[in-house]
Amino acid sequence: MCESNVYIDRAGHEELLMESVDRIIPAEDGSIFMESIFGERKVVKARIKEMELVHHRIILEEIDKQEAKEHDQEIWLEPDTDHGHFHAGEEVVLKLSKGYNMKPDHDAAYSAIEAFAVNEGNVNPVHIHDHHGSKEINLGQEADGLLQIYVHEHEIRELYAKVVMEIGHHHHHGLKPLGLPLEIVPIDYSHARMGESYEIQVLQNGQPLAGAEVKVTYASTRSKDYPNRLTTSEDGRAKIFLSARGNYLFSVTAQNIISTFTLVKSF
Amino acid sequence: MCKDLPPLERAVQFHGHVCPGLLMGVRVAEFAQKHLGVNQDIDEELVAVVETNSCGVDAIQSILGCTFGKGNLIYKDYGKNVYTIASREKNRAVRIAQKYRDINSPESIRYRELNSLSQLTDDQEAEREDLLALIFENTMSAPFEELFDWQDIDFVFPEKAQIRATIRCAVCGEGVMDSKATESVEGLICKACLLAKEG
Repeated sequence: MCESNVYIDRAGHEELLMESVDRIIPAEDGSIFMESIFGERKVVKARIKEMELVHHRIILEEIDKQEAKEHDQEIWLEPDTDHGHFHAGEEVVLKLSKGYNMKPDHDAAYSAIEAFAVNEGNVNPVHIHDHHGSKEINLGQEADGLLQIYVHEHEIRELYAKVVMEIGHHHHHGLKPLGLPLEIVPIDYSHARMGESYEIQVLQNGQPLAGAEVKVTYASTRSKDYPNRLTTSEDGRAKIFLSARGNYLFSVTAQNIISTFTLVKSF
Repeated sequence: MCKDLPPLERAVQFHGHVCPGLLMGVRVAEFAQKHLGVNQDIDEELVAVVETNSCGVDAIQSILGCTFGKGNLIYKDYGKNVYTIASREKNRAVRIAQKYRDINSPESIRYRELNSLSQLTDDQEAEREDLLALIFENTMSAPFEELFDWQDIDFVFPEKAQIRATIRCAVCGEGVMDSKATESVEGLICKACLLAKEG
């Protein structure tokens, strides 16, 4: 007999969680998957505290939710498409997430949030709606051009999220900064490709911010924290080599503001 | 309409993941295209002779279009990272050989060390990811001549793949290319049945 009973330690009190468990798989997000010989399955946010193999007992310890939020939370936008752009006439949907290092905290609460779409200097407020427990922006099927969409949340800190979306094709003209108090601006908007370098500039109140730390991550990272940290040059610029597939997230913090920019890869 | 995938993305999609060997193959394929002045093969305009069956060959298949199925990928089991790419239209061929290195970079050594482990912790996974990013950047930005030797060579082009008749194996009843069937007391039989008979 190799199976064990799994208990969870909740504030010093042990509770039986599942009997006759024969499979335990810890996941990257700190949760544990378990399956019993009877086919029962559970996922819990916990870590393994102790394994008494002789007594067929495994004791888990509940993870404090605050611990999972040890980093400053940021917000970011990503398109709901898998190939980096939308076609003319296609419904343009963006997802808004809150969390850290592109790992969404699905329990995160939002305070006052507002979103805007900027197309060739024209700024239009856009609606953020709830969709199956997450936040979405739906620009409909009429949107066209090279759009900058940003979200602002008044929290304990000021949070900004910005994304550039290509809708239709041939919109590879330059992009002007939006004028956010803290903003990450792509130097040369074009189809960003894996295997190439990508450069951004950080502006604070419209001026280049030198010496700022820019954290960079990507959706598929296995790293708990941001895998890349860059420092901006005298003119506020920083460059990264794109070694991963999928979208990249740039994040910068200054004073009381956290501002992100999502680089949507075209393929 | 969406554009074609860039070569690197095509190779990664075909191979399934990014790894140092695939990236070396990408450099070879991109160099060969530029050097010979050719595009992706459509119907055997190109021939690739590969002296390895490692990851880099998938870049040759996906970027150059020299594939196992088309018959314009010729595999020689030499265990060498050497690739000969030839163009029928240009009547040219280039032989590209990965340079031998006595000493590997510390990141390559550590990357291989981690890759040899059957299971990685989260921290090791993250470390491997960081190492791969570094190797990736170094491989893609290094001058080609730092990584490979190459020379134009005379090349005898093989005949294009032939379409042969399919006959019925006298033992198993399955179809088999006539040129691959063997005469036996039962009639023409396929290689699998021949080997089974021989025990």
